[in-house]
Amino acid sequence: MRRFGWLWVAASSLLLATSALGETRPQYGGTLHVAMQIAPSTLDPADNSLASAVAYRNVLRLVFDGLVSMDNQGRLQPALATSWRAEPGNRRWQFQLRQGVRFHDGSPLTAEAVAASLRSANPGWTVMAAPDSIVIQREVGDPDVAVQLALARNSIAKRVTGGGFVGTGAFRITNWLPGRSLTLAVNEDYWGGRAFLDGIEIEFGRSTRDQLIDSDLGRIQVAEVAPEQSRKLAEEKRRVVNSSPVELLALVFARDPQSDDDQKIRDILALCLDRPSIRSGVLGNVGDPTGAILPNWISGYAFVFSAERNLARAQEERGEVQRAPAMTLGYDADDAVTRVIAERIALNAREAGLTVQTAATPKADIRVKRIEAVSSNPRIALTSAALSLGVPAPNYAGTSINDVFVAESEVLRGKKIIPLFQVPVSYAVSSSVEGWKAGRDGSWHLADVWLGATP
Amino acid sequence: MSGAGKGAVYNRPIAEMQIRSSGHAGRARSLFILICLCWPFASHATEWTGPAQEFARKIAAVTGPGTITFHLTNRSSLSAKDMAEVERELQAQLMVAGLRAAKGEPPGASLEVTLSENALSYVWVAEIRRTSGEPSVAMVSLPRREIAVPAQDLPPMTLRKIPLWTQETRILDVLVLEESASPTRMAVLEPEALKVYRSNNGQWQEEQRSPVSHSKPWPRDLRGRMWPRPDRGVDVYLPGVVCRTSSGTVTALACSDSGDPWPLSAQVALGAFFAPTRNFFTGALAPGIGRQTSVPKFFSAAPLLRTNATSWVIAATDGTVHLLDGSSDQALQVSWGSDVASVRSSCGSGWQILATQPGEGLGDSIRAYEVGDRDAAAVSSATDIDGPITALWTEPRGASAIVVFKDATTDSYEAFRVAVGCGQ
Repeated sequence: MRRFGWLWVAASSLLLATSALGETRPQYGGTLHVAMQIAPSTLDPADNSLASAVAYRNVLRLVFDGLVSMDNQGRLQPALATSWRAEPGNRRWQFQLRQGVRFHDGSPLTAEAVAASLRSANPGWTVMAAPDSIVIQREVGDPDVAVQLALARNSIAKRVTGGGFVGTGAFRITNWLPGRSLTLAVNEDYWGGRAFLDGIEIEFGRSTRDQLIDSDLGRIQVAEVAPEQSRKLAEEKRRVVNSSPVELLALVFARDPQSDDDQKIRDILALCLDRPSIRSGVLGNVGDPTGAILPNWISGYAFVFSAERNLARAQEERGEVQRAPAMTLGYDADDAVTRVIAERIALNAREAGLTVQTAATPKADIRVKRIEAVSSNPRIALTSAALSLGVPAPNYAGTSINDVFVAESEVLRGKKIIPLFQVPVSYAVSSSVEGWKAGRDGSWHLADVWLGATP
Repeated sequence: MSGAGKGAVYNRPIAEMQIRSSGHAGRARSLFILICLCWPFASHATEWTGPAQEFARKIAAVTGPGTITFHLTNRSSLSAKDMAEVERELQAQLMVAGLRAAKGEPPGASLEVTLSENALSYVWVAEIRRTSGEPSVAMVSLPRREIAVPAQDLPPMTLRKIPLWTQETRILDVLVLEESASPTRMAVLEPEALKVYRSNNGQWQEEQRSPVSHSKPWPRDLRGRMWPRPDRGVDVYLPGVVCRTSSGTVTALACSDSGDPWPLSAQVALGAFFAPTRNFFTGALAPGIGRQTSVPKFFSAAPLLRTNATSWVIAATDGTVHLLDGSSDQALQVSWGSDVASVRSSCGSGWQILATQPGEGLGDSIRAYEVGDRDAAAVSSATDIDGPITALWTEPRGASAIVVFKDATTDSYEAFRVAVGCGQ
């Protein structure tokens, strides 16, 4: 001890006398408790009813793998397929399957099982099983086949006796109460390496308010946070993680424009919207006012589409319309945010000389709708958004971003949608959760999460 | 492409873009005032030349030849230096395309150029307003380059970092095989391969590659270590697998399932059994530290060689740190991370412990300590690492350690050598 005397003096201020744990390497074990607002009635990846919801996609990805996955830079990465190639013209695609992978019921991952799963999710595709690979044949060249296979709805699932599904993912289902809860246990033999957690318990159908209470009580470690709450929670020093903007809040018209006046009325409505005021008053200053369908992090050009208010011009154009019938603006009765947004928009419209009545009805002339980006690939995201809007899938002249811009411009020119905001998804994550890596698209990577000591 | 904002509010170009993009660098330019000065610099090709050429051609296709005004805004991750280069290149290419600055006369068109990006690409957008007709948009995209990691300034400290290797895929360990003033031949252990690189005139080239075969999936947080043998071959230890090269070479890697203990030190004969499906040592030692043949499960261990005895520092999986001397087990009152390594130096007691700690930001930090009977004193400042440290192994000669981390910004793995220097 005496030998180090000079050191003790020199470094006395640095002496670490705390017994706090500072481990930096992941720990195995433990169960992660999560709550969600959604209440899925099925875990069939091919079921489209919830396919665009970020939360549902995250649940699917725990149990099921895709042939490929997409990283944060939008690059495809091997998953159940180790390699792939398209023949010239992109009509025929071949995916080489990873060897030695098993479904959670112990059966091997075969080309037949993969082909059956993809046929179920894509009835219009021709999918053929070949030795150790599958072949997808499209009638016309499709440069996005591989990108589409990264979508959660194209996860590989096998139907088992009793109507359930098994996957090959990092976690397997041990208890599933549709719409209520899901209990998962770690897949010890996961091809990507055993997850650190022993299990995950997910409770469905919990409001964000209830989730926060559960989080405060320590019942759950991951809670969804409504956009308008996220900033406040962060200011309270809670650990809040946000994705890039992945959800579009938009006004969606029930019908295409019926006349020139109808078109002009839609222009007037778009011009009179006071997005900054709605953002601060309703969304807690979260989200980006937008005039685009795709967020800028996906397209790179969203700023070109204006979201500026011009009330004077709106009033001027209103003067050019002889008859402007009253319109109903619908919102989801269970979604307080869309209700308040609808009310604010009705006030904006009144300033421009339009009559808009709000109602919690799905049969309105216009609806405040949430449209989630299903992929960070701009073509896939725009196509999916267009289908959500009830407009035909865009035709792309090519694969450049310029072609996507032209297609998006075309969809917007149809005047069936007025984009309002791009908002992120947010989670309150307990400080005991380590290794949390949310993707830009809001995706979770819970196989890499581990539970540390609670401070 | 024209008519993007045709008569509608849905996609009207934003007039106040520079205001909207506060936080991004935005600079107005009277076009080409400096273009004659810039021309000599822009005339040699840069990485921006091709895209700028294409962009200028697209813009000129809309405007036709004539006079323009120009405003550039950067909404991307390009640095101010890159932005200036792009701007210079674009100005030069616009000039080549027949567009010149409006000098007093009304311009034929005004350009609002935005350097933007999406997840995969840089996207350069020109919003073009002409004296007549609808506003138009022209754009090009080009692959984003990997984010450059700024060179880290070494603070005054006693830890010396020597960068060894960077790659996108995971690095488990790096073994310097040959060196003169600096390493000239290295083995890099990856989850699926052992690769050997040789430096030829400062350029590293892959010399050999041997696959690592394993019958079961690797566990997460995979760890592995290379160990040189006296016959100049190399043993590779991985969870549940040991691979051996032929003598005198690092080729022909033969792997087999094995529970053999991993060597912990070249200076002290001690091995430890590694859990085959986890990221830690089981606690069983071979042959043991004195009478202690079993210790708590641990992530890492480092010997402290002293004149008359050797003790071991062990970072247990429960976050505690133990000092073992063969008979007693003292808990050190420290808040270290999971990885420790010992290095020999010419200062202090002659052997210091390098320990990881959670860093201030996204990364870990590393620091040198002198260890007493119950406590440890920091003898260097903490060196922040730009990501989590995934490996910390003492090099065979003991004078330095290999640190591997995953860069939190670029997601690439980097390995460096760290040694302790006396004073600064």
